[in-house]
Amino acid sequence: MAGPTRERSATLLALTSSALMLPACQGARADAQPETTTLSLGYSKYREDDTRDSKTFGGSSERYDIDVAQFHLLAPVGEDWSLALDVQWEDMSGASPWFVGESASGDPKVIMSGASIEDTRTDISVTTRYYYDRGNAGFNYARSEEDDYESDAIAVDGSFNSADGLTTWSGAVSLSRDDIEPTRGTVPTNTLKDEKDIYSAWVGVSRIVSRRAILRFGLGYTYREGFLTDPYKLRDRRPRQRREWVASTGYRHFFTAPNAALHVDYRYFDDDWGVRSHTVDIAWHQNLGARTQLVPFARFYSQDAADFFANVVDLADRYHVDDYRLSAFGALSAGLRLRQDLGQWTLNVTAERYRSREHYGLYDGEESPALVAWWRGSVGLSYRFR
Amino acid sequence: MSRVLGLIILLGLAGCETVQPWERGSLAQEEMQWQPDLLEARLRDQVHFSKEASSGGAGAAGGGCGCN
Repeated sequence: MAGPTRERSATLLALTSSALMLPACQGARADAQPETTTLSLGYSKYREDDTRDSKTFGGSSERYDIDVAQFHLLAPVGEDWSLALDVQWEDMSGASPWFVGESASGDPKVIMSGASIEDTRTDISVTTRYYYDRGNAGFNYARSEEDDYESDAIAVDGSFNSADGLTTWSGAVSLSRDDIEPTRGTVPTNTLKDEKDIYSAWVGVSRIVSRRAILRFGLGYTYREGFLTDPYKLRDRRPRQRREWVASTGYRHFFTAPNAALHVDYRYFDDDWGVRSHTVDIAWHQNLGARTQLVPFARFYSQDAADFFANVVDLADRYHVDDYRLSAFGALSAGLRLRQDLGQWTLNVTAERYRSREHYGLYDGEESPALVAWWRGSVGLSYRFR
Repeated sequence: MSRVLGLIILLGLAGCETVQPWERGSLAQEEMQWQPDLLEARLRDQVHFSKEASSGGAGAAGGGCGCN
């Protein structure tokens, strides 16, 4: 009798020990030290639609075409640490809106930068993370290099679980020093050389609300200071400071019968340039058997225009901008992702379509003729070492 | 806005139940993570940051780029 009882006790102890590990795992799986090394590679093709002829003054209506390669390595180090290395390469070509003018009929039309822009970007990020009983803390250094832009950033983040493991408190701060030196091409630039700094802080809390649901909230503040004007746009002069506030919430719910998880995220953004925005992301992670997952996803975005935005700007105004990214518009995007487990390999394939129009949004304003639409396709392969 | 957010927080926390560690199996599934695919999340954040006036929400801002 003693044998089976001891065996049951050992089994129960093992199960309980495993279960007790879960609070540290949930909130984010990254809360726990990774058990094995994972190597991931990704390639994406991003292509913007040409600007419609009716929206341009002629000439080039071609927009950006970008190839992106990604590398990610995450490895456990010792018993309490991990090291992550992320590298991203981008090769971009095409043209971007230069300025907006008024046609004889009074319609705003965009003039593209004309000559094809060629640029590359390399982004390297290294993160070390220490794991302790009730959470973890990380330090990150990131460097981004382009022909005309360099950025060095450091960040510190940490998370702390409550004793019952139901609540996780998180926080992060970052500091970035960026140098801008526009490349001299066929169009004049707004500066020869300048700088900007970015200071940011974020706090969040996540909470297990049921056996199958978890909820989180976050608040963020970012202060940008320096040359915030777009160096390549003809009619662009922006304030040298920008203060941004973000409130966000997220929800995850696992549905047992369809064996699927629902993701819902919402973000509210506000800044002292007059921009406000709402973003809603929804995704359905449907498991199909043990090795396949299909994820349809959709996103709604709506922003108000910056106070100093106009399609046809008054150059006498202290600040003025005709950049479509600071206009009032809404954007809808939708996509589909396939995840296939192949033993130690995992294959991810994603396709996404994005469109933006003024009337898609919640805020009224002048529609910019330069609003963008794009396609994106991605393929990724991960290998988990054992 | 703050009232709406406050209401959401209140409703969210009011709906909490005590979930024992051994009842958290579903929560530990990979598809229940905040960011199940880091490469995908990084790429989407960057594209949206480059084409829209808003950014952030999931952490500190980090570094900038000259992305147009």
